[in-house]
Amino acid sequence: MRNVIVTGGSRGIGLGICRKLAAEGYRVIAIARTQNGQLAEAMREAEDRNPGSFQFVSFDLSAIDSIPDLVQTLHKGHGAIYGLVNNAGISFHGILSQMPTAQIEQLVRVNTTSPIVLTKYVVRTMMAGGGGRIVNIASIIASTGYSGLSVYGATKSSLTGFTRSLAREVGRMGITVNSVAPGFIDTDLTQSVQGEHRQKIEHRSALRRLAEIDDVANAVEFLLSERAKNITGTVLTVDAGNTA
Amino acid sequence: MTATIRSEIEAQFIQVAQEQGNRLAPLTDDLALLDSGLDSLCFAIIVARLEGLLGVDPFTLSDDVLFPVTFGDFVRLYENATK
Repeated sequence: MRNVIVTGGSRGIGLGICRKLAAEGYRVIAIARTQNGQLAEAMREAEDRNPGSFQFVSFDLSAIDSIPDLVQTLHKGHGAIYGLVNNAGISFHGILSQMPTAQIEQLVRVNTTSPIVLTKYVVRTMMAGGGGRIVNIASIIASTGYSGLSVYGATKSSLTGFTRSLAREVGRMGITVNSVAPGFIDTDLTQSVQGEHRQKIEHRSALRRLAEIDDVANAVEFLLSERAKNITGTVLTVDAGNTA
Repeated sequence: MTATIRSEIEAQFIQVAQEQGNRLAPLTDDLALLDSGLDSLCFAIIVARLEGLLGVDPFTLSDDVLFPVTFGDFVRLYENATK
C-alpha cells in the first residue's frame, strides 16, 4: 500500500480525502490534533474493508519545531511516503484593520509555514526514494477576493506560489506538486457563512450549486494517481464554476 | 567506521551522478564541490539518502553549518557528526 499523509484529516475536506484515498487502496495517515466520532467511524469502515488502510497520528501542526521528528517517526513506522496532502488550515473571518496581530501570525503559521516545513521534510524522503506526489489544498480565495478573508487569502495564494516553484525544483526527481482550489464547501471552517451569503455564492456559480467535499476528494485522488503523472505545478479549481 | 562513512558518501556521489546524468569528477579530498559535476539538487538527494543510511543530517543539527567547500570537508562533516 502506498502511504499518503493527509493533514487536517479528522474532519471536513481532509476527512473526505482520507475516506476516498483509503477506499482507493492507499494507506492514509491522517494527522490532526484530536480524534472525533466521525473520524473513528471512518477508520472503522476503512479497517473492515481494507485492514491498515486508515491510520491516525495526533499532532499539533502549529508545533513547527517538532515537524522533523514527526516525519522521521512516520517514515520509520510506515516506510516510504508516496503522497502528502497539505490540507490542514484555519480561517478567521474579520476585517484586517481590526484583526489582532497574534491572529494574523497564527494564520500564517498554520496555513503557510507549517505546510512548507512539513513538505520540506517529506520531500527529502521522496527525493531519496525517487518520486512522489504533493497536493496543497488552496482556495479560490487565493485568486479571487472576499471581504473579511484578506489574511486567509494571503496564506492560500502563498500555497499556489509555493506549488509552482517547488514543482520546478523537484520535477527532475519524478515528484509532482499541485494545488487544489476548492470553492465554498460546507464544512466546520465555513459555518460562519450562512443563509443569504451562501445562497449568493450558489447563485453566482455557473452550475447554480456548491461543490462538495467528495468533489475535492476526487480531484486530490486524481492528482495522486498514475493518470496525473504528467500534471505538475498547476491549480485544479473545484468550485462548481463560481470563478468561471 | 570512518572508512565506512567515506565509502558510503563516495557510493552516493557516484550513484546520484549516474541517476541524474551528471559527469562526476574524480573524488579527491581537495576537489571543490562546485567543480564536482553535481548540482544543488544532486546534493539535496545525497544528503537525504545519507540521512537514511547514517541516521544523521549535519545540516539540520545546527543552523550554523555552512555547506562544505571541498569533498574532504564534506566527508569530515559527516565523520564528525556521527562521532
